[in-house]
Amino acid sequence: MSYQAAHTLPFRVELIRQVRRKRTLIAYLFIVALPLIVAGAVKFGPSSDGGGDEFGGGGLDLIGLATHSAANFTATMFYFATGFVLITVVAIFCGDTVASEASWSTLRYLLASPVPRARLLRQKLFVGLTLSGGAVLLLPIASYIIGGITFGFGGLQTPLGATFSQGVGIQRIAIMTAFLALSLLFCAGLAFLMSVTTDAPLGAVGAAVGIVIISNILNAISALGSLRNWLPTHYAYAWLDALATEIDWSAMVRGASYSLIAFALCVGAATAKFARKDITS
Amino acid sequence: MRTRLILLTALILAVAPFGAPLALAATSTSSITVSGGPTSSSDATPIKIDGEIYLPANSPAPAVLLAHGFGGSKDSVTEEAKALQARGFVVLAWSARGFGNSTGSISMNSPDREVVDVAKLIDYLGNRKEVIQDKKNDPRVGITGRSYGGAISLLAGARDQRIDAIAADITWNNLEGALFPQSALGIAEPGPFKRVWTGTFFSIGSLGMRSATTTPTPQTLLCGRFAPEWCAAYQMSVAQNAPSPAITTLMKAVSPTTYAQDIVAPTLLMQGEADSLFPLTESTRTAKSIRDAHPATPLAMIWHSGGHDGGQDESKRLQGQVANWFDIYLAKKAHSFPTFQLTQSAAAISSQDSAPEARVQIGTSLPLATTSVALAITSKSKVLLAPAGAAPSAVSALPGFGSALSLAGGLGAFLPGQSAFFESAPLTAQLPIIGASSVKVRVASTTGDATLFFSLIVKSESGRTTQPNGLVAPVRLLGIPANGIDIDVELPAIVTNATPGDRIALAVSTTDLGYAMPQDGRVYSITPLSPLFVSTMTLKNAPSNTPLYLWPLIAVGAFGLSLLWVFIRRPRHPAMKEPQSDAPLVSVRALNKQYDDGYKAVTDLSFTVEHGQVVGLLGPNGAGKTTTLRMLMGLIFPTSGEIEISGVPVFPGSRALSGLGSFVEGPGFLPHLTGSENLDLYWRSTGRSDDPEIADALEISGLGTAVNKKVRTYSQGMRQRLAIAQAMLGKPELLVLDEPTNGLDPTQIKAMRSILKNYAESGRTVIVSSHLLSEVEQTCSHVVVMHRGLLIASGTIDEILNRNGKRAQHLEEIFMDLVGEDTEIGI
Repeated sequence: MSYQAAHTLPFRVELIRQVRRKRTLIAYLFIVALPLIVAGAVKFGPSSDGGGDEFGGGGLDLIGLATHSAANFTATMFYFATGFVLITVVAIFCGDTVASEASWSTLRYLLASPVPRARLLRQKLFVGLTLSGGAVLLLPIASYIIGGITFGFGGLQTPLGATFSQGVGIQRIAIMTAFLALSLLFCAGLAFLMSVTTDAPLGAVGAAVGIVIISNILNAISALGSLRNWLPTHYAYAWLDALATEIDWSAMVRGASYSLIAFALCVGAATAKFARKDITS
Repeated sequence: MRTRLILLTALILAVAPFGAPLALAATSTSSITVSGGPTSSSDATPIKIDGEIYLPANSPAPAVLLAHGFGGSKDSVTEEAKALQARGFVVLAWSARGFGNSTGSISMNSPDREVVDVAKLIDYLGNRKEVIQDKKNDPRVGITGRSYGGAISLLAGARDQRIDAIAADITWNNLEGALFPQSALGIAEPGPFKRVWTGTFFSIGSLGMRSATTTPTPQTLLCGRFAPEWCAAYQMSVAQNAPSPAITTLMKAVSPTTYAQDIVAPTLLMQGEADSLFPLTESTRTAKSIRDAHPATPLAMIWHSGGHDGGQDESKRLQGQVANWFDIYLAKKAHSFPTFQLTQSAAAISSQDSAPEARVQIGTSLPLATTSVALAITSKSKVLLAPAGAAPSAVSALPGFGSALSLAGGLGAFLPGQSAFFESAPLTAQLPIIGASSVKVRVASTTGDATLFFSLIVKSESGRTTQPNGLVAPVRLLGIPANGIDIDVELPAIVTNATPGDRIALAVSTTDLGYAMPQDGRVYSITPLSPLFVSTMTLKNAPSNTPLYLWPLIAVGAFGLSLLWVFIRRPRHPAMKEPQSDAPLVSVRALNKQYDDGYKAVTDLSFTVEHGQVVGLLGPNGAGKTTTLRMLMGLIFPTSGEIEISGVPVFPGSRALSGLGSFVEGPGFLPHLTGSENLDLYWRSTGRSDDPEIADALEISGLGTAVNKKVRTYSQGMRQRLAIAQAMLGKPELLVLDEPTNGLDPTQIKAMRSILKNYAESGRTVIVSSHLLSEVEQTCSHVVVMHRGLLIASGTIDEILNRNGKRAQHLEEIFMDLVGEDTEIGI
């Protein structure tokens, strides 16, 4: 027989199926629009006379330093995007992937063709993660270019008073990007589990974003004290440690590990659940 | 469920032995009164010391004497006492004489008053059976305290050899040096009077401590509970803005600098970086005395971010460190204890609120001899004014405000005309500034005397200046010749981190609100004579409590666990078999499906389908047709029974399904792609490498050029035909169509009929489910009739029509016969 399970739903095919969707384009446009809007607002906003003035705290914090250079602008964009934008984009890419097939009724034809269930999830997760990774990479690249054109390609000035050369600055941004990518795996895994659980794509994305936001809110309640250390999003901003002269890796390592643990458990649960599920969509 | 319960019980039983002693452990606390040293030099009556003893769960245990700060009492150290008690120490907290309910008057830790009180307390501990006794009347005991309590720790530790370990926090080495600081090295003259801090200190001991019951007299109003000699000496010094000989003698007697060489007990010295009263150098001076006299005495030092100016609260960490210190030297337990720890206050950014955050760094040597880096000063001599009346005055650090004022943009710290910066060139490498830097300057004054305030500041590229913790080094010079005097200035000991691009600057101010100032106006000229010798040390970040590799290991474990879970929870499929040529194409045996909600969709269904047949699956709505087809496609798990295609069992992902084309419950396409793209991508997803015969399929769909339009724009009929075309891609052996004629017009239905017939004639098989009986009659060779999940009849059309021995004209008659009246047919 000419059928080979290992050739079902190839990565390329699934990538084309997802990339051709409008939401992919919109998500990426959104990522590019964020630095464009912020840079434009600072450069041409009414409170500025067009000279790239400081905004926010005026040089005392990360946001106030945004206009110092491309690297600073990028770090500030990370700060703005960590809490919601990247979460949402990742949740869309990983949460909508299976549920939307169910809602289009294509899922049953893929499974009956037959794409083995574990393979279908694997290919979909790979593509979802690839698109998410693309978004996480696009943000610093777009921010760096836009920030560089607007404010110059200088070194990275940290809120702690340190100044890094352009090379070290780029290195630090690479570290932040890598950590962000890892820490978003929690959201990716959660959204993927939701995607397998429900046939409503919006429900899956919404539930994942909702849980992450609840975790963020709990993290902001100082009365919870050290209990918050166990929240999966507690270390979401640990990439700020990459701004210290000597990088303390402990928070980043712990945060990334949390995210990986949650990712492993969510994806495991999704696979186990999907393997035994009656497909009625 | 049962196994889980057993496991849980086993777990509880296993853990219980460890939990039980903790739960039953009894600690106790009681108040005691101990006779102390003599009331005064003229009155030998012992004072009454009010103490509190905290007993740990297990005794005998080592004891810790816990002293309180100035203005406090035994009650102000309850939290520290309980922490040490929990760590297994007998803790004796007491109110120092003149404080709380203890009698006597404040003598500032005098060697023949407060120090004797401590000896009496050690005598008391020597009689307690709960305390480990090294010898008769020599209990195993440590002593600790902050500020005033830190001084008594050092002074008693030097005097009483029975003390086995010392931990002193934010205290003085030389009280006169702290209150009349002179930072010009080699100048014997006392420095300017630190009047605001001293006044605050004194008022706590006088005004704040006044007894409420006795009528105040001028004496009690002026002196409160201070001993008369201290009160008189203080009044005199304030009036003169200079130490009187009497107070110099008194302060010398209560300064660790006088006795530290006698300390042989292991000593932990802690000092605050935010402390303009007792700066960091107080700890290094004490350490130096101990080290020089007894090099083998274990010594450790902690510079934390707290202090008398406030700073950041690290009391929890410090309590832990003190307990560790006593664990090592009293309880003889092993702990790793860094020789030097310091807190870099802005070493990281908080991930909670992105504010600067402190990090602890450690070193292997004490900061007694730091490395100095010479930075050339680029600016020349500057002229400064000190206004008459010393107003306006710069504000560096003040009691209760700390360095808050100077942090807020340096507004009050440096006044124009009254201050000058002597800057270095921008740094090219990072430079941690740790300890006291120094510089040589020439000072000239129009009045022949000078009071100046030196500090080290960091100026960033953006022009922001930071005066770490608002600390200044005061200098008071008398008898300056007309051409000036050359002095070496020891700058304030600070902890900060200068980064590339920063300039380090020597700042000089002529006024400071915290000090007594000359009242006449004068003009100074300051000339730097040497580079800035910046004190630095190489330290590393303190290791975290959990090793760095632990969490990634757990993450790897989570992946393993997850894989294991997926493996254990995997559905068990029948063994894969090779296709058998003699087996029927489709064989359904004793098939049952009961949904989770109890609904039985299919009951004990068995039928076979052979090659070349067109089989009609008939039944009213809810008969179980679609459920059966979904089970045939591997979408739904049968509760029991089996399905085989050519002898190969059907389950999700079974290769038996690769020979099956299906159309069930409506079409499914990606709406954002065209019809032909959908067919192409679908075929590439199926994992089959034979020819899809797309042209044939497109012809069947009859969509024409519409195949290049997005599926989103299609009508229901167009989607239906495209879906049937998709099912026929690659000409599968078995074609399963569920209500294929829904939404088609009569012409299209007719075309569909011939398509299916042609398909079967090539030896392939078609299963059609429908509720249109006439349609089935015209198309199918065989029929399977279902009702309420049960098989009612199966066979060729002829067999079915000849049922019950009479020939029926139409399927409908038979169908109504079989199914009865309890149904409605059609949609």
